[in-house]
Amino acid sequence: MTWHLPTSVDDVVRTRAERPEAPIVAGGTFLGILVRQGLVEADEWISLQRVTELTRMHSAGDLSVGAMVTHRRLELDDTVRTIWPGVAAAFKAVASPRVRNRATMGGVLADADYASDPPSMLVASNAVAEIASVRGTRRVPVEDLIIGHYSTSMEEDELITRVVVPRPTGAAVYRKLRTRSQEDRPASSVAAVVHGETVRVVVGAVSDRPYHFADVCSQWRPGDLDSAREIGEEYASRIDYIDDNRGSAAYRRHVVGVEVRRALMAVAR
Amino acid sequence: MNLTLNVNGRAVDVDAEPHDMLVDVLRDQVGLTGPRVTCGVGLCGTCTVLLDGEPVSGCILMAPLAQGKEITTIEGLPEDDEVVASFDRNHAFQCGYCIPGMVLTARDMIDKGHACSREEIREGLGGNLCRCGCYLKIIEAVEEAAQ
Ligand SMILES: Cc1cc2nc3c(=O)[nH]c(=O)nc-3n(C[C@H](O)[C@H](O)[C@H](O)COP(=O)(O)OP(=O)(O)OC[C@H]3O[C@@H](n4cnc5c(N)ncnc54)[C@H](O)[C@@H]3O)c2cc1C
Ligand code: FES
Ligand code: FES
Repeated sequence: MTWHLPTSVDDVVRTRAERPEAPIVAGGTFLGILVRQGLVEADEWISLQRVTELTRMHSAGDLSVGAMVTHRRLELDDTVRTIWPGVAAAFKAVASPRVRNRATMGGVLADADYASDPPSMLVASNAVAEIASVRGTRRVPVEDLIIGHYSTSMEEDELITRVVVPRPTGAAVYRKLRTRSQEDRPASSVAAVVHGETVRVVVGAVSDRPYHFADVCSQWRPGDLDSAREIGEEYASRIDYIDDNRGSAAYRRHVVGVEVRRALMAVAR
Repeated sequence: MNLTLNVNGRAVDVDAEPHDMLVDVLRDQVGLTGPRVTCGVGLCGTCTVLLDGEPVSGCILMAPLAQGKEITTIEGLPEDDEVVASFDRNHAFQCGYCIPGMVLTARDMIDKGHACSREEIREGLGGNLCRCGCYLKIIEAVEEAAQ
């Protein structure tokens, strides 16, 4: 077997173009489970562990997060906590420190697991992913990157290089609902971020991908409980829910209404 | 594949494929039985090892990802480690199965200043399960070691 250890993004995309079958390995928390269980097999692997440019993070202006920046770093970074508290909270909500020490920004977006915490907050924050291949670089809003169950709009050979989160102009709230244990994945993941006069509410972990309804959000009257309730009910009724061992579809429909209402009241405080 | 791993301060050569998880390599090839496999999916913490001082689940870490990192298992802590001594003084265990993971996780929390309150300790140890239910004493032991 071959474990490729490229050291630059150029190197990675070239190696990938020649071997589209070879999985990219970032923190390896998602792949590790699949590999251990025999669900993923490969003869060649491309590891990002030596690509130091992907571990860069900048926060002058917008927040630029390299694909290999870990959840733990986002959770603990003083600037992120102060200026992007919603982002820090959503990454901190993931599993245990053991997972957060390894799990990366690129990995959580590329695996597109419906039961994740960060995607709803990234979509609510208008985050944009930068994606590279031998054909060049393109930018895709995270909203258009995760398109369904474990599926993204990326091509086979593309690599997420970084994610840019605009500097917030208003408050942000992240609400994770756990139904089994403290370290469990979310049964519902609600993010609300205020942008000027409007709010972006995004609901994840209850369906195939995160959902945002701009027309519903535009009805928001900040601080008004009836308005928050109506928006919650509208979100609850529009989503097509999944049934899994974290909650039935009917349960999720109910809690989404409540969680959205609470997020809206909290973000207006 | 031949890999050189830095384990508890010494370089060891092992033969491991990407589908071999670090915990199995440490147990079967390096002879370190402190890390144990229980859930195998990253949830319980019995397989905890430190990678460059940070706790990770060895059961889901593809072995080549540990290259170039300093790996510490419970066997690598000094004899007189304060956390180990505090677990001992507080009788913070029954069968002891979860204890290597608990101690290593606590070691990291204390070293980084993340064990300043009971709440913080509970949160930090949240991903480490103790089947014997020794949580209260474990939290007391970490609290004492952190002082
Ligand atoms: C025990 C446990 C509990 C968890 N609980 C939660 C939880 O509560 N909330 C939550 O949100 N998540 C949870 N997770 C999921 C975890 O956050 C993801 O596994 C992690 O984010 C994946 O990141 P990684 O770097 O480890 O990815 P990897 O496992 O390395 O890769 C994941 C996938 O993404 C691809 N990939 C990785 N990086 C890139 C890139 N830069 N460009 C293109 N493709 C790429 C890989 O090829 C692979 O297909 C949990 C995981 C575990 C093991
Ligand atoms: S055996 Fe690794 S976390 Fe449970
Ligand atoms: S002491 Fe027995 S599992 Fe914790």
